[in-house]
Amino acid sequence: MSWSGSNYVSAVVALAIASGVALSEACAADDMAGLQAEVDALKKQVQEAGEWRRSDSMVHLSGYGAVTYSDAQSENGAYDGVVFAPIFHYQYKDLMLLESELEVEVGKEGETEFALEYLALDLFLNDHVTLVAGKFLSPIGQFRQNLHPAWINKLPSEPPGFGHDGAAPVAEVGAGLRGGLPASGGRLNYAFYVGNGPELEAAGGELEGVRSEGMTRDEDGKKVLGGRLGFQPIAKFEVGMSAATGQAAVARDAAGAVASDPARDYDVTGVDFSGQIYGLELRGEYVRQKAGAAAGSVAPDAAAWKAWYTHASYPFQPGKWEGVLRYTDFSMPDANQGQRQWAAGVNYLFAPSVIAKLAYEKNDGESGTAADADRIQVQLAYGF
Amino acid sequence: MAGISRFRIGGLIAAGFVAVAVLFYQATPLEAREAEKPGDSVRGVTLWADNCARCHAMRDPKEFRDDQWRVIVSHMRVRAGLGGQDARDILAFLQASN
Ligand code: HEC
Repeated sequence: MSWSGSNYVSAVVALAIASGVALSEACAADDMAGLQAEVDALKKQVQEAGEWRRSDSMVHLSGYGAVTYSDAQSENGAYDGVVFAPIFHYQYKDLMLLESELEVEVGKEGETEFALEYLALDLFLNDHVTLVAGKFLSPIGQFRQNLHPAWINKLPSEPPGFGHDGAAPVAEVGAGLRGGLPASGGRLNYAFYVGNGPELEAAGGELEGVRSEGMTRDEDGKKVLGGRLGFQPIAKFEVGMSAATGQAAVARDAAGAVASDPARDYDVTGVDFSGQIYGLELRGEYVRQKAGAAAGSVAPDAAAWKAWYTHASYPFQPGKWEGVLRYTDFSMPDANQGQRQWAAGVNYLFAPSVIAKLAYEKNDGESGTAADADRIQVQLAYGF
Repeated sequence: MAGISRFRIGGLIAAGFVAVAVLFYQATPLEAREAEKPGDSVRGVTLWADNCARCHAMRDPKEFRDDQWRVIVSHMRVRAGLGGQDARDILAFLQASN
């Protein structure tokens, strides 16, 4: 049997097709393997890229910086405020948050002042109760805990009496419970604490000031119990009531440290409100710290420090320009040393946390002191 | 008189502590955390608008990544005394809008 030409051609074609199919199958298998490897590699990359988002431990850095120029009647104008306040946050699941703020400042003579503004361990016990332990900003009132960072405060200065050595407690070392819950159509928030409490300062046989920066010793041996209850009957309106009670002792007078001065009653009361209506923001706060009389003390008489302010701000061009007005009245045990202040300012917000401020203060206090000197301040602040 | 008012203040604060202790026992125990309701971004929008510009200018949701918002909202939960569910709802909104 001999093959005809056409048979021969068909055989060759069939062979070619068969080998072609075999060849392309081999190629496809190769391609598939390659593709699979690529997909696997990609999957791994995506998984790795997402790991930082799913991790149980999280780290976050925030804080603020501010630069201030002040020109007061009594002094030469100077760039007198350079503050860097980084805040560290570490969080483990939704159980624990560590929050800590450092405050690093340039002093008058160029030295660096360094302070642990707060370090709090917040343990979220459940939806309504968080245990807070460490050094925390005083929950009394609003200014210290909610408004003092420069990018938040709408004026370059603190209201007299609400800074250090004023009428309002600054910080506390201790432990407490904080949280919030719905209440009769509105919302309730609370903060209660037990702490070491403040120390008193005396001069010339009289009580002169309260040191309430938060100390790790308790000279009087008695704890201070305090707290604040805030109620929001409607959105964007809050009223708060604060109180603290315990004992404090004089730890320092003009001559230096005072040892074993008797403990005396120490009480704080305060009320505050804040509200927003058609862009107009109104705030007000009153606080009083009182130290009772103590026979046998280097400063036996009772004394009280009181301060209140009201504050209004209005965005002329929302998100850009705003105007601010604040009135403060601070009274000290020595009637001559009180201070009354009107402060007016204009702010420009480059961003919600980048703000330039220009303000004028009219001060009325003990003549010849800074408390009586009017001043102009310019500040640039950035919260990050 | 001063003695009585001090006694009252101390009593009120102590009563506050007791009320919180009761709250603690009634609310979700720690082990039941997994069963907590997840955040609801729709509720979150209103809560965000009502709460997040009370103390400072409103921060743009786009300013931070999801993981950063998680920590920030925990921080604000403590600072502003927000309930856990409100905080989760606000977080869900922020993470959906950045
Ligand atoms: C009770 C006042 C208050 C309320 C309400 C509030 N904040 Fe804050 N917020 C602060 C203060 C105070 C700081 C600065 C923290 C500091 O300096 O210790 C801050 C800081 C921030 C920061 C900077 C990053 C950080 O964690 O420090 C962001 C972002 C922020 N808040 C967003 C929010 C959001 C979102 C809400 C709504 C859930 C909110 N805030 C509600 C007081 C408040």
